[in-house]
Amino acid sequence: MLRGNRELWLAFLAMVLITGLYGAVIAATREVPPASELFGHGIGIVGFIFMLMTETLYSLRKRSRTVRWGRMSTWLEFHIFTGIVGPYMVLLHTSWKFNGLAGVSTLFAIIIVVSGFVGRYIFTRIPRTLDGLEIEGTLSQEALKHARTLLALWHTVHIPIGMALFVSAFVHIGAALYYATLLK
Amino acid sequence: MRSNRLGCLTGTGIIAALITAFAIAGYAYARGGLMYNPGPLSAQGDETLGGVTSHAATGGNCEACHTAPWEAASMADRCTACHTDIAGDMRNVATVHGTLMHDEPDLGCRHCHPEHRGPDAQLTVFSDASFPHEVVGFSLKGHPQTAADEPFVCDDCHAGDITTFDLKTCDTCHREEELGYMTAHTLSFGSDCLDCHDGVDRLGKNFDHNVFSFQLTGQHVGLACVQCHVNARGFGDFAVTLQDCNSCHHAEEPHEGRFGLDCGECHTAEGWSPAKFDHNLSVFKLEGEHAEAECDECHVDRQFKGTPMDCYACHQEDDEHNGEYGTDCSVCHTPSDWEDADFDHNLTKFPLIGGHAGVGCQECHSSGQFAGLSRTCVNCHGDPAYHAGLFGQNCVGCHTVNNWSARYDGPHPAISRNHEGAGCRDCHTSTLHSATCSACHDGNEGGDGDGGGDDD
Repeated sequence: MLRGNRELWLAFLAMVLITGLYGAVIAATREVPPASELFGHGIGIVGFIFMLMTETLYSLRKRSRTVRWGRMSTWLEFHIFTGIVGPYMVLLHTSWKFNGLAGVSTLFAIIIVVSGFVGRYIFTRIPRTLDGLEIEGTLSQEALKHARTLLALWHTVHIPIGMALFVSAFVHIGAALYYATLLK
Repeated sequence: MRSNRLGCLTGTGIIAALITAFAIAGYAYARGGLMYNPGPLSAQGDETLGGVTSHAATGGNCEACHTAPWEAASMADRCTACHTDIAGDMRNVATVHGTLMHDEPDLGCRHCHPEHRGPDAQLTVFSDASFPHEVVGFSLKGHPQTAADEPFVCDDCHAGDITTFDLKTCDTCHREEELGYMTAHTLSFGSDCLDCHDGVDRLGKNFDHNVFSFQLTGQHVGLACVQCHVNARGFGDFAVTLQDCNSCHHAEEPHEGRFGLDCGECHTAEGWSPAKFDHNLSVFKLEGEHAEAECDECHVDRQFKGTPMDCYACHQEDDEHNGEYGTDCSVCHTPSDWEDADFDHNLTKFPLIGGHAGVGCQECHSSGQFAGLSRTCVNCHGDPAYHAGLFGQNCVGCHTVNNWSARYDGPHPAISRNHEGAGCRDCHTSTLHSATCSACHDGNEGGDGDGGGDDD
């Protein structure tokens, strides 16, 4: 069980640690860490980097023909880990204000995490090797076909949400740089 | 065939990205930068600057305050374009903004004035300890730690809003520290602490009164401030406290103002006694035996001012002349010694000349009477029996003070002129009632003697 859900436990542990740190900062500064200051900004940046890694690394590994570092299952675990922890950090970065484009981006992030959980549930219905290859013959052809259809449908929804998220997130980052970070 | 594209670059993914991008662009076109707004702007303000009465009134016009990173102008330039009074202050180091700019030239307005925090949020927030608090008239040098021995934070004194200060804050905290002192102190000086205290502790434990012109020495050391600074309600009131002795000591002044109001002429702050009084600075200098006199010999009942300065006021009982020489003893006497009298009889109406010179006082003034003594000759000189009452009291008809041996040149009965040259006593040997001729003439000659002589 633990083996099968290792990435979830690690993600949960990371979230607990981050939450503890977040609480400590609140206790020290007596305020919710603003998105624009060191801690709030830091977790936003790291969280977004995690989300970028979620978006790209697993996909790159899956499609790479030359470099085959690590098992696909490990990359998937890492994809799930960053896909949970990254959005959680971004959620803390919001300082619980969800107005404007930043709020829309947060909403997309939450949606895609939920979508990710759904996708993982569908994905794990199909037995695979550690390298992610389907193990033939364990499911009936109908069940396998049904699962593949569901997975393809899920991809059709999950990927556009991710793209919308990243477009809005990049615009948000650009606007933040323009209006705040690089402001003289 | 498997593509090595990123998995996200699917047709639907790209379409979703484009739709999102267009949606954002469309919103930006329609509503400006409003979607980037991290929070509502302040709606506070009652004065029109830059055409608006509040930041919120700028709407979605981000460029009203924000500059592009590649512009030369900074956001602070946008601020000062409207807040021109602050722009002036920033060039004046006597102001908060001027001092901040002097100390930290790169400090932006937004460092202390954050925005997008809501319509009613404070526009001034200072979490930095580098705020030059003394520029607002109160240094924090005297406030290193709270009563709980913790570093001060703004909220300790400025509950919620650093632009306001409730005067009761001082009283509340300091009363916890020193209840008795604060009770007495506020009774004496009121409760508007900032009128006197500016935070540098100049009136605190290190206060040195001796830097002022009125230095505290002697008995003035250790006095409570309020004993001199009565009803002071501001530092200016302390500065104008009158420094003359009488202002504080009039109630205990025993001389009733007879010595004037400058106690320091005789007394020092070391104590009322001993007093140092230089009588010789007064109009009545103490010379001779006066210098040895005790104060109360002249100043009876401690009456000092208005003490009569004429000799007789004190020396009437000493007057051996019973007032006959008047009341101004100094005509003859000096303070050195009564005996050392210097009386010039010749300045009187009866100069002592001729036979009177050198006569002892008692020979004329035998009765002890000096003034008013009759100046007639007969007062001293009795009519001798020899005159036999012939000349009355008109001594000066024959005598002068230079020559008592008078010569009688008046009419003479019964003798001829050839007796000229004879003295009176040649014939009148005992009295003028009788005469003898035989003293000069023998028996053959009769009649009065013929001779002359001086009369007595």
